Amino acid sequence: MDRNVVGMILGGLVNVAIALLVAPFFQGILRRVTARVIQSRQGPPLMQPYFDIFKLLGKEDIESGETPGMQRFATYLLLATVLAAICLVPLGFPAPMSGSGDVVLLVYLITFSGICTLLAGAAAGSTYSLVGTSREMMMMIALDPIFAITLVVGALNAKSLRLESVLNGSVYASSGFPAAGVILLGVMLLAFQAYVGRVPFDISEAETEIMEGPLIEYSGPKLAMFKYAQAVKLVLYAALFVALFVPWGSSLPFPIAFLIFWAKVLVLVLLSTVLAATHARYRIDQALRYYATFLAVSLVAVVLASIGH
Amino acid sequence: MSILSKLLETQICLGAGRATMPYPFQPRTAPATFRGRPIFDGKKCIGCAGCANNCPAREILVFDPCQEIRVLKYLGRRCTYCGRCADLCPEKAITMSGEFENGTNAIGDISQTIELFMSTCQRCGRCFDEPSEGKRNPLEKLKMKGYRFDDLKNERWIFRSQAYLEGQPVVDDIAIDLKD
Amino acid sequence: MLKNLCQKMFGRSLWVYHANSGGCNGCDIEVVNCLTPYYDVERFGIKLVGSPRHADVMLCQGPANRSTAAALKRAYEAMPNPKLVFAIGSCACGGGIWFDSYAVLGPAEKVVPVNYYVPGCPPRPEAIIWGVAVAAGLVDKKTAPVTFKQVELPIPRYHPEDLKGKGELVVYEKAPRPGF
Repeated sequence: MDRNVVGMILGGLVNVAIALLVAPFFQGILRRVTARVIQSRQGPPLMQPYFDIFKLLGKEDIESGETPGMQRFATYLLLATVLAAICLVPLGFPAPMSGSGDVVLLVYLITFSGICTLLAGAAAGSTYSLVGTSREMMMMIALDPIFAITLVVGALNAKSLRLESVLNGSVYASSGFPAAGVILLGVMLLAFQAYVGRVPFDISEAETEIMEGPLIEYSGPKLAMFKYAQAVKLVLYAALFVALFVPWGSSLPFPIAFLIFWAKVLVLVLLSTVLAATHARYRIDQALRYYATFLAVSLVAVVLASIGH
Repeated sequence: MSILSKLLETQICLGAGRATMPYPFQPRTAPATFRGRPIFDGKKCIGCAGCANNCPAREILVFDPCQEIRVLKYLGRRCTYCGRCADLCPEKAITMSGEFENGTNAIGDISQTIELFMSTCQRCGRCFDEPSEGKRNPLEKLKMKGYRFDDLKNERWIFRSQAYLEGQPVVDDIAIDLKD
Repeated sequence: MLKNLCQKMFGRSLWVYHANSGGCNGCDIEVVNCLTPYYDVERFGIKLVGSPRHADVMLCQGPANRSTAAALKRAYEAMPNPKLVFAIGSCACGGGIWFDSYAVLGPAEKVVPVNYYVPGCPPRPEAIIWGVAVAAGLVDKKTAPVTFKQVELPIPRYHPEDLKGKGELVVYEKAPRPGF
């Protein structure tokens, strides 16, 4: 029993290590593909986000803002929550820690990471960060139900709340035409950009309109952690999407399944890049209307799933 | 509507290729009429200070440490590269070169200084251009015609400059009847 | 060890904050031109950020005006160490042609300590990229102060001992007198 627990924790750490190593690389691919393909210029080198993070770690930490203690707490908590969420997700091999949590825990952790951003923005207390916090709150209210509904449909179809069975393409029902699954595939594809905070929907943070929103009063190492958390969120949501909707090929032996998984994630990231580079940012009310329609559509999908489709 | 137009947009961008110039690694020249850093040629300068008078940023400073030396100092700090000094210079000693690569960490690097020797007349103290070997400037010619009385011993009118050039005795080349 | 790595990475990813303290916006446009695909300064890792707290480099543009000097100083103090300040354009390097206006306090270095200067009015985007490359150590700077001296001090003054007679002609011979 002890060895099992220790093994699980080590496996979780493997997940964390992979996520930490790979996440800035995907951001680098994002920036480079945007530059080379869409904007006809030579972009930054692929390792640029690593350079950025190291440089930020070496800068002086200016504690500005209203409540520095809460700011520190919120930063560390954000990175910790996102890394804890990624321990539960299969990254090309079955997640070692998936026995210690279920679907509800996953939804909780993802919502909690959003709350940490809100805490960070509210703790800073400057005008811009409060505006960014309110927008982030609105986006969270619109988005988290959609994600929860997807997992609920998966749980309904798999008839259990365990992560191994839900995160395995269970959205497609086993009998008949998987109507709910296809509807949810469409919804999640269109909503993916908002989860990872990329351009049509990066309303809450990292934009020049409100000077990076909740992040405005953070400098140096704390900013490095925020940027890292954003990069890891990209990997997290991409991995979840792949595990929920396109899991085929994950039962092959270890190296091949690993490579296939990361190839799928790469395709998803490239799609997200192209979307981000060719669109303009939505206003908050336009985005909320957009998501309200998605919420209605996913409720239809839940009804369909509960009657067996 | 939107997806198709975005795909079309992506295709157009792909077709454009890469537009970036590899600038610091490959040199790039400015167009011919570009006004870059002004280069002051000390050999042609006569020290008239017309450029200093006309500079809109008062960037060219003139001062005379003593009667014979004039120092013209161009500090590059406020220069807007307008070219008025170059337009004005009577000797065309200022050229607006095409140099735009002026970034530096000490602003004193852009300064140019010219120190000129201004010959002054012994009598009135005003500056004149130094007579060089080959040039026959008006003052030299005046000397030939007898304007200067350095030749105090002889105190004769010296009329013919040619004799001077050839080194022949010039006194009494014209018979002037002085005894009367 | 981590500190060394962080210091080495500083030159590879510079985040830039643009602070215009009263200029005409010519240099603003040239700075933003540098971020376009043609000149593309992002290949060096440079990114434009909106808050001085996230920035490493402040690009000062425009002279330090009476009304904006305090804001410029606050933006400088809000930047975390290590930081650099660039003065872009003639106005920020030396006050420009507005140096004696009632509203202008002087160049940007009256308010914040400046590390690198890029003169020009406005400087070409290539000139700005050259300045950034000099700061990052990619190229060597191309400017150095120039002095042209026609005569070295001490200069010979008019002394009777310097006059030499050559037959009929009195010649003023210029000879540098050592130890004068």
